Amino acid sequence: MKRTLIAAALLAATAAYAQPKPPPIWQQGRPPAMADSKLAPLAGRNTETPASEIPIDKVKLPKGFTAEIWATGFPGGRAMARGESGKIYLGTRGLGRVYEVTDEGGRRTVRVVVDKLTQPSGVAMKGGSLYVMAIDKVLRYDGIESNPGVQPVDMTAAFNLPPQQHHNWKYIRFGPDGKLYVPFGGPCNICEPPAEYAQIRRYNADGSGMEVIARGVRNTQGFDFHPKTGELWFTDHGRDWMGDKGPEDELNRISKVGLNFGFPYCHAKGVLDADFKKKDACKGVTLPVTTMGPHAANMGVIFYTGSMFPKEYQNTMFIARKGSWNRTVKFGFDVVNVRPSADGKKAKVTPFMTGFLEDPKTAKFWGRPAYLLQMPDGALLVSDEQLGAIYRVSYKK
Amino acid sequence: MRFPQRGRWAWLTAFFIAPALAQPLSARLPLCAACHGPGGNSAIPGTPSLAGQPAIFLENELVLLREGVREVPQMAAAVQGLKDAEIHALARYYAAQKPAAPQGKPDPALMKQGTALAKKLHCGSCHEADFRGREQMPRLAAQREEYLVAAMNGYRNYTRKGGDTLMAAALYGVSDADVRVLAHYLSRLP
Repeated sequence: MKRTLIAAALLAATAAYAQPKPPPIWQQGRPPAMADSKLAPLAGRNTETPASEIPIDKVKLPKGFTAEIWATGFPGGRAMARGESGKIYLGTRGLGRVYEVTDEGGRRTVRVVVDKLTQPSGVAMKGGSLYVMAIDKVLRYDGIESNPGVQPVDMTAAFNLPPQQHHNWKYIRFGPDGKLYVPFGGPCNICEPPAEYAQIRRYNADGSGMEVIARGVRNTQGFDFHPKTGELWFTDHGRDWMGDKGPEDELNRISKVGLNFGFPYCHAKGVLDADFKKKDACKGVTLPVTTMGPHAANMGVIFYTGSMFPKEYQNTMFIARKGSWNRTVKFGFDVVNVRPSADGKKAKVTPFMTGFLEDPKTAKFWGRPAYLLQMPDGALLVSDEQLGAIYRVSYKK
Repeated sequence: MRFPQRGRWAWLTAFFIAPALAQPLSARLPLCAACHGPGGNSAIPGTPSLAGQPAIFLENELVLLREGVREVPQMAAAVQGLKDAEIHALARYYAAQKPAAPQGKPDPALMKQGTALAKKLHCGSCHEADFRGREQMPRLAAQREEYLVAAMNGYRNYTRKGGDTLMAAALYGVSDADVRVLAHYLSRLP
């Protein structure tokens, strides 16, 4: 009986997709005071930027740290996954490409692995296979590092991706449990999302065994697993059009499966939504460990476990903040260091890599740090989605 | 890097064959003008006007067309092998051209509806109050009406690839009839 009900519900859900348009249950969510606001997403670049046009000397870091341009020539490159032989794969959004960067003894070469996909921003490596996740497609390239021409295995059907695109480009990551963690964002600025959205799921590597592990997640574009506890820590972007103050982005910790992180009713540390109101909106909601800045666009998260940086950075997080657009005075455009308390209930945010934003008031910036990767020697790679480049941050006493 | 390849041999070949030489702008323009009109004001149904479009928008679209992300069969041959430098030059040229006066007679009732719809959907927030566009967001004023309908349908129905999904979200639930009203209104603005 139960099975029949589930089957009927699935059929109904499928039928709903086939119909022309569900009613508009979301809105851009703009108060009258902001009706004439001209804030808009910042333009990306689809053309290559040579190293000579990147003002890397403007980057500021704590004493002892240095940044250098490590690789260029991959417009829109963002999340990075590193293979066992050292090749690095980068996903993109609008440009539809996945890149492979090969380190050839101090010189980096770049090739396009696949193109014409719909926002293939999710990349992950496991057991010699590259997993690529676009909004509407999942591909696996077995043994790609030694066999660049390998044809992909199309795994799309197994993952059952829902149809709405907005906020459904992916960040993906394999957990210590060997499962693939995949977010499904709220497909709107603010809305009461259909049941398949505003959540984080995990799957077996073949797409089976899907489990929703967190709900009320608006748009996470980065997460990592604590090196000791194995808990997943993720950033989540706050909604737009509620003013310069926020609601701020969040840094959350998944202490157990099934938590609700508040979207669309309860944001940041208990900020009630301006458009979707509910009685006891924050009741049962897991509030963030810390807020991460208004409209800051928190992206990549990594726990640092390398031996190069000073000891105090061990098991702390680096988080890249691509920078705000929905704010009159710009914010972010940096990499911060985030030090969690021993119980994981609080965290301290400190600027680490800055200098990309030259004038917050006129939105003058030259780069947008997006994702982070720890190299075997302990250096930190930082991808810049704006300029299609990777910077290497190293430390010397 | 300009040769997205799937096969191993094609990939190796890309390293050894010198890319075709870039053409000067003056040699490219007649081909563009054949469809998009002299100075980028199109007289051909379905073919957009380029005059006065923001340079970043033009650059982004030319790259997407070259890469085949945005699939427009009529454009495929024209943009094949375009160098980034040529794309920058074309974008600068068309951004500097003067848009022609709008074509077609405005229907007062549709113009009134269009004004209200554009306000409700906050179109001017990104595309500017006079819809001249800026940065990656195109000029809509005096664009060809049937092209605007096709573009909005493409964003809303996810058939136009490579654009920001924000346009799909902005047009979510907007009816075909309203798309037509918006296109009528925008195409008749100077």
